[in-house]
Amino acid sequence: MDGQLPRRIIKETQRLLSEPVPGISAAPSDDNLRYFNVIILGPDSSPYQGGVFKLELFLPEDYPMAAPKVRFLTKIYHPNVDKLGRICLDILKDKWSPALQIRTVLLSIQALMSAPNPDDPLDENIARHWKTNEADAMNTARQWTAAHAQPA
Amino acid sequence: MQSAPGSVVVPRNFRLLEELEKGEKGIGDGTVSYGMDSADDMLMRHWTGTIIGPPNTVHDGRIYTLKIYCDESYPDRPPQVRFQSRIQMSCVAPNGVVDPRVFQVLGRWSRQYTMETVLTELRREMAQPHNRKLPQPPEGSTY
Repeated sequence: MDGQLPRRIIKETQRLLSEPVPGISAAPSDDNLRYFNVIILGPDSSPYQGGVFKLELFLPEDYPMAAPKVRFLTKIYHPNVDKLGRICLDILKDKWSPALQIRTVLLSIQALMSAPNPDDPLDENIARHWKTNEADAMNTARQWTAAHAQPA
Repeated sequence: MQSAPGSVVVPRNFRLLEELEKGEKGIGDGTVSYGMDSADDMLMRHWTGTIIGPPNTVHDGRIYTLKIYCDESYPDRPPQVRFQSRIQMSCVAPNGVVDPRVFQVLGRWSRQYTMETVLTELRREMAQPHNRKLPQPPEGSTY
């Protein structure tokens, strides 16, 4: 399978491993080099601070013409993430460009954790909570972080 | 994983997300459908399917519901499929479980098959000569 893996993916993988982004780790799984186990640490000064968030990322056959597929495996209380961990982020959809990389995607998710966007929600209830009482919503997010996002 | 060398293997969870999205949009003419039992089942294991009985058979117009269980090995291994609505059919055991030894879609599973394949082929099976006229339990009864 390695022999068939596009050079672009090999190079991106090597760089992710040799020059990791602070607070983010991404490593391909042994039996599928297009499938990455990702960990993002909750950004400082966000309600996710102190949390360890697991995600999974898959590079579809037409990557980089198509965006990677990413989802949270750790439960997270966030207006742009639904109950299945799917993420509402423009660069994963219509704003994807082959000039972007796995690294940019993960940085964008980290940034989205720092700056939730309740005006473009995936989970309507959480977004409403965020817009009507941000302090209380962030409190819930902190509680979820403490309950679900702790290192094993 | 069973696949040709060099081919792209979609991992279980992303495969199930694709199936979920397809199921939410609706499949073909709507004679089969499926969805997840619970919106927060992160492992996406429990599903319910429905089949509308094919015309010109004893199943005509009946709505059958089925439970589909996709464990960690799906889609490398077939899902477990069980009718919730009572039915008489050659490939369905007396407790409603679809028998992989009789129903070849499960018995000779291929990674390319989906829950849609299972439901569509079960519906086709209902219309086969050995099934289409079998006496049926009362409509709406369940196991």
